[in-house]
Amino acid sequence: MARMLREVLYVDGARTAFGRAGPGGLFWKTRADDMAVKVVRELLRRNPTLPPERINDVIMAATAQVGDQGLTLGRSVALLAGLPTSVPGFAVDRMCAGALTATTAGAGEIAMGAADVVLVGGVEHMGHHPMGEEVDFNPRFVAERLIDESAAVMGQTAENLHDAFPHLTKEAADAYAVASQRKAAQAWENGVMDGIVVPMAVFTDEGWTLAARDEFLRPETTMEALAGLRTPFRAGGRVTAGNSAGLTDGATAALLASEEAAAELGLEPQMRLVAFAYAGVQPELMGLGPVPATERVLERAGITVDDVGLFELNEPFAVQVLTWCDGVGVAPDDPRLNPYGGAIACGHPLAATGVRLMAQLARGFRDRPEVRYGLTALCIGLGMGAAILWENLHARG
Amino acid sequence: MASPPTLFKLRRVETEAGPLALVTMDNGEDWRKPNTFGEAALRSLEEALDAIEQEAWAGLVLTGKPFVFAAGADIDEFGEITPERAREGGEAGHALFGRIRALPFPTLAAINGAALGGGVEIALHCDFRTISSSVRHFACPEVLLGLIPGWGGTQLVPRLVGAEQAVRFIVENPLRQNRMLTGPAAFEAGFADALLEPVEFLDESLAWLQRAIAEGRSPRPPADLADTAEVVRKARARLDGQVHGAALAPYRALDLIEGAATWSLEEGYRAEEDALAELLPGPQAQASLYAFYLVERRAKRGAGIPEAEPRRVQKVGIVGAGLMARQLALLFLRRLEVPVVLRDLTQEQVDDALAWIREEVAGLVRKGRLSEGKARFLSSLASGGTSWDLFAGCDLVLEAVFEELAVKQEVFRELERVVSPECVLATNTSSLSVTALGAGLAHPERVVGMHFFNPVAVLPLVELVRTPSTDDVTLATAWAVTRKLRKTAVLVRDAPGFVVNRILARQGAVVTDALDHGNTVEETDEAVLRLGVPMAPSVLLQLVGPKVANHVRHTLHEAWPERFPLSPTLESLARGGEPVVVEHAPRTVDELHQAVLEALADEISHILEEGVVAEAADVDTCLLLGAGYPFWLGGITKHLDQTGVSQRVVGRPLAEVRPARVPA
Repeated sequence: MARMLREVLYVDGARTAFGRAGPGGLFWKTRADDMAVKVVRELLRRNPTLPPERINDVIMAATAQVGDQGLTLGRSVALLAGLPTSVPGFAVDRMCAGALTATTAGAGEIAMGAADVVLVGGVEHMGHHPMGEEVDFNPRFVAERLIDESAAVMGQTAENLHDAFPHLTKEAADAYAVASQRKAAQAWENGVMDGIVVPMAVFTDEGWTLAARDEFLRPETTMEALAGLRTPFRAGGRVTAGNSAGLTDGATAALLASEEAAAELGLEPQMRLVAFAYAGVQPELMGLGPVPATERVLERAGITVDDVGLFELNEPFAVQVLTWCDGVGVAPDDPRLNPYGGAIACGHPLAATGVRLMAQLARGFRDRPEVRYGLTALCIGLGMGAAILWENLHARG
Repeated sequence: MASPPTLFKLRRVETEAGPLALVTMDNGEDWRKPNTFGEAALRSLEEALDAIEQEAWAGLVLTGKPFVFAAGADIDEFGEITPERAREGGEAGHALFGRIRALPFPTLAAINGAALGGGVEIALHCDFRTISSSVRHFACPEVLLGLIPGWGGTQLVPRLVGAEQAVRFIVENPLRQNRMLTGPAAFEAGFADALLEPVEFLDESLAWLQRAIAEGRSPRPPADLADTAEVVRKARARLDGQVHGAALAPYRALDLIEGAATWSLEEGYRAEEDALAELLPGPQAQASLYAFYLVERRAKRGAGIPEAEPRRVQKVGIVGAGLMARQLALLFLRRLEVPVVLRDLTQEQVDDALAWIREEVAGLVRKGRLSEGKARFLSSLASGGTSWDLFAGCDLVLEAVFEELAVKQEVFRELERVVSPECVLATNTSSLSVTALGAGLAHPERVVGMHFFNPVAVLPLVELVRTPSTDDVTLATAWAVTRKLRKTAVLVRDAPGFVVNRILARQGAVVTDALDHGNTVEETDEAVLRLGVPMAPSVLLQLVGPKVANHVRHTLHEAWPERFPLSPTLESLARGGEPVVVEHAPRTVDELHQAVLEALADEISHILEEGVVAEAADVDTCLLLGAGYPFWLGGITKHLDQTGVSQRVVGRPLAEVRPARVPA
């Protein structure tokens, strides 16, 4: 039986403010699943023409799928958010590309005709679930030298990038970080984030308050200040708290729909999913992953990097972005790259980040109708990369 | 045990409507220890108000820590209080809550969880209220505790929801088993301006206030109180019928509600302070606080229950299929959800009981309290027949057959042939010796009394009767089962009539003696009802049945002939006859009332000296939970001690009477 694939559209996306992980952070006394519920309900509120029972699946990503991120998140979040019991859900994990993987999985359901509308997203409460804490590494990884030991510590993989590409200096990384903070501060000032970040009441030791702004923002960051920071991953290293993303609590969610369902339900789609790709690299050079993923997705779409007008790249480490820039031929200060700042400024709640990139890309598309294509990409622990290519539905001509 | 102080934590929240003061009531504990207002909490509120009043705000939101708003004044600070301190406490609350009311910007109480007493009152001092649909406890229970809502409740509730609702909320609900409102019911009654889902309750409350600010919304105009005098007059009449003038607080609360129609709020505050100074140190409030402590804390801890690990109960047997037996079978079925087998002499009796159980289960489905599937499952668990072999594999068998020693002994002998040596053998006997029932068994250590009260679904008490042989595991198992049945057990030693029936029978002896001497039923009823107990002795006698009552009298007469004389009237009633006047020498109702009190004090002193229970608190717990004695008497011993009856009859307060010998 011949069948037509259907177009997959990104309709809307939202996130919580991103908080500092740990007892002093905004979300320390808030559950991860409640954070995911908050963004899901925000999407329903913002898209009132969507009858909740028309959502065919809820796909939620988390890296640590235990505790308040356990219990098949997609389904439990659907129930907790008050969706009808007829709406199913599941959980996915591809570490930092969790939400991106939820998106491509949902896109697959829509393209196949298995679903009309899918909710995707991710949550990571790194305060409740410090990275690797609940993981039992197989001793064979080390005994059989399947991976370099440094591959397990993301900061060390970033130091490895500096080693592998000596022309990517600490100064360049710091300069990139300062720019990211500056761009993020501007975006907040210009109200860009108001349409993306949903304030959430959170309980703290000092009483209830409103989590409305990212905790890692440091608009005043200077090169001088960054130069003096400690290098926690090795003595004499180059990776610091200033040129990398902090440990973060946050949740994101986005609404995907088939072209037909979007029209039928009166939704206002922002982007069309053109192509996506995942790729693997040496685990100890994890940050290289987005380079082959980008190359592959451009090849599949039959366009070149010059045809892409916006890049939303994750920024776990400034050197990782520099590596990608180097690999695909984009200058680190190219205005197409992360125009609203990145994870160095806002934080990186692992599995949640993918939808943040999409939400910022959608906003960038709206601000730049001359742009037709945009890319969301990130690197993934254990040596992988992910990239999704999107088309601007607001593009002129 | 000092509870942690509840603090008023102020945070500034920037919104489109401007800066909001977000105030959280939080004692730093989880929901199991609710926020309460003690002296430290009021100091914290004062500090928060000092800070709030110094700044410009667009509005204020007052809410509680997760799942709890505030449970009201800290009653641990109420014991042995002086009238002066009671008045000061009222004044302090009025002054601080009044400052919230006077804030020059819109204020919202976001009632996110349980709100009781002072918690309701602080919310009433805000301009607006949102309430979560998940709230299960919204009430002013003060009248139950012999008090009135004295931080503005009696004045603001009628102004907000009218006199009719105020009477129900402040006076009638507390006296109806402390009935509380849910969030939706409170909204329906007009206590809140918006009913919001719990999932984003505070976010939506913040948004609600911002909209109210933007729209310049005013608080609702006060309710029309023109009908107050008439409403209160009718309420007083209903109250007379219920408590016979015995309880002070509900009458005082009605006075205050009536006053609200004409007083200024300040005048109302002063009247509340007068009432607090009178009531709080008074005997009824102090007795009520004692009763509250017994029922809510002490009884739930299980005073005297051994630490042993209870056995698992996976199959239950009920011997008998009569009225009590089938009620018990239904209770075990619903709460334990394990197979329950009934056995009686004929299959017809058993089938009749099973049909009754299935009909009751079906009734729960009709009321929406059970799903059809669950009902089908529960019904499938009930079975029965005439063979003793049915009880094989039971972990607990409770007998509820005819009250006759030989019959019950035979039941236990038959049971021991089919059940394991560990199976708990329990009896629901009300007057026979549990020790005698277990005599001759190979394993008397697993015999225990579990004395339920009729109607089983209503009365929460189980007298847990230990014999000299009963071992710790058996007691622990029976206790654990009682908890699962959502009943409250009081541990008693095996003695005729245990506690409740012995005390009621002694009271009954005064009544039948009066009838034997020419007093009317109306007079004897009034003499007892004057205590404030829920049921007249004549009604109680009909419920129990004169035959059973006389049987109990005979049992107790055998043990203590001088205190439990046989009564010609009771003998006649048991045979279906009329009261018999032996000698025409009626006493006044006052004299009868005194005679009842003295008889109670005397009998309780014997119960305590014999070590039937460990202390007077156990007697009171039994009467509160098994006979519906009112809080304001503190069961009964508090009242007897307070009024000097104990001193006169026993020579000392009952609270000080301890077992004369170590209980077996």
